Amino acid sequence: MRNYSNHSENAVEVDSVSKRFHTKDRDSIFSRPGNNPEITILDNVSFSVKKGEMFGVIGRNGIGKTTLLRMIAGIYKPDSGQINTYGSMVPLLSLGTGFNPELSARDNVIFYGKILGFSHKEITGMLGEIIEFAELEKFKDTKLKKFSTGMAMRLAFATAIQINPDIILIDEILTVGDQLFQKKSYDTFMKFKEAKKTIVFVTHDLNSVNSLCDKAILLEGGKIASDGQPSKVVNDYLGMLDAEKT
Amino acid sequence: MIASHIWENRSLIRTFAINDLVIRYKGSLLGALWSFLEPILMLGILYLIFSHVFKSDIENYPLYLLLGIIMWNFFTRSTSMGLGSILARTGIVNQAYFPRDVLPISACVTACIMLGVEFVIFFGFVIGFQFVPSYTILILPALVALLFCMTLGMSFILSIAYVKFRDVQNVWAIVTYAGFFLSPVIYDISIFPDNISQILLLNPMAQFLDMAHGVALYGQLPSVFALAYTGIISIGVLIVGYIIFKHYEFKIVEEL
Repeated sequence: MRNYSNHSENAVEVDSVSKRFHTKDRDSIFSRPGNNPEITILDNVSFSVKKGEMFGVIGRNGIGKTTLLRMIAGIYKPDSGQINTYGSMVPLLSLGTGFNPELSARDNVIFYGKILGFSHKEITGMLGEIIEFAELEKFKDTKLKKFSTGMAMRLAFATAIQINPDIILIDEILTVGDQLFQKKSYDTFMKFKEAKKTIVFVTHDLNSVNSLCDKAILLEGGKIASDGQPSKVVNDYLGMLDAEKT
Repeated sequence: MIASHIWENRSLIRTFAINDLVIRYKGSLLGALWSFLEPILMLGILYLIFSHVFKSDIENYPLYLLLGIIMWNFFTRSTSMGLGSILARTGIVNQAYFPRDVLPISACVTACIMLGVEFVIFFGFVIGFQFVPSYTILILPALVALLFCMTLGMSFILSIAYVKFRDVQNVWAIVTYAGFFLSPVIYDISIFPDNISQILLLNPMAQFLDMAHGVALYGQLPSVFALAYTGIISIGVLIVGYIIFKHYEFKIVEEL
């Protein structure tokens, strides 16, 4: 549910959310039916993210971090529980994959902006700044299929940033582009923090969780295994990985 | 309810539909010219074959044939584009939430724009044949609107089903192929004995084509029965399709 009221001091509220997936699909009627066990990815998970907070989500691969972000973004629905978000939101989940290779950078940005809920007028008004931020002025009429992966990701990132949402959901993308662009993205994140924007951040880069986030959670076995100060949560995670090795 | 929903999301639908059309002719030298050239040539070939090779005693047969082909093209195009509409957009569907029903709706709108182009060409042929249609032709847009409702409803169901079962595409290709011959596109339903034509007219597309031919070429108003029959089926399919779509729209995204 997306609300635009500002009464809550929270930007994201996740309340007793559970999500289950089937582990396999039946391929065809010729394959053995067998059983199709369900696994619980998230089991009664609750937390909230305050406005202006940078919130890290860490955990091992396949533990449900992306599923959680997708549910916050409204792409998946929780099987039970509720998620509320307050303010405009841009998910950066898999950068640039939604672009159409046959359309120009310009047309793709307009399309992407509309998908994110902006009007034609709003998005064309921001177009110049988006292309400029992405440093792709020379290529604005070039078809996306001629773009490198990094360029396409830069374009998607620039669009999301220039749209200036209240909440950004990020799935492992701080490594977008070359060093110069990374520096610029990092600076932009800091600006976002100063502007009291909310960022929910899924990553394996524990250093950036330590240095950037105000709070963090560790997901393990469908539950929140640790939460609070990023340094503490990161330590718990490292401890958990160590314990598993021995 | 669906109409107001379409209106609210008109900007997004327009973008999807225009992109579809733009992409269709991208990379070709003649570009958008193909949107006229392709149907002109297609209809020209069909006209040559069926008016010179297979002669028919249907009055104004070339126009009869063209109108039937155009209406049938719309039916197959909108449903087959609607069928793939979610799967073809996996990248963007997985990346952000937007009203999912925009996908099949814009596929049908794209087909509708192509239908409009073909109607322009059809009226070129009408003028070329110095044919003067009766006032009843004014009913044709209403028939198209009703047909749009039916194809949209089918597209809602097909788009969801196709994500889960890829067989749907094969099945639908066969259904539309058979449907072409079971509907009065190249022949008139009256060539069959009464009992058989009654069975053929259970097919709503047969009714649509029969009515379209009647109003456009022969000055015949549709029968109350035919209108009621296609009306109930079209609106029914639309409502049922929308309900099914709404029920599965979130579950199906997890299958992408």
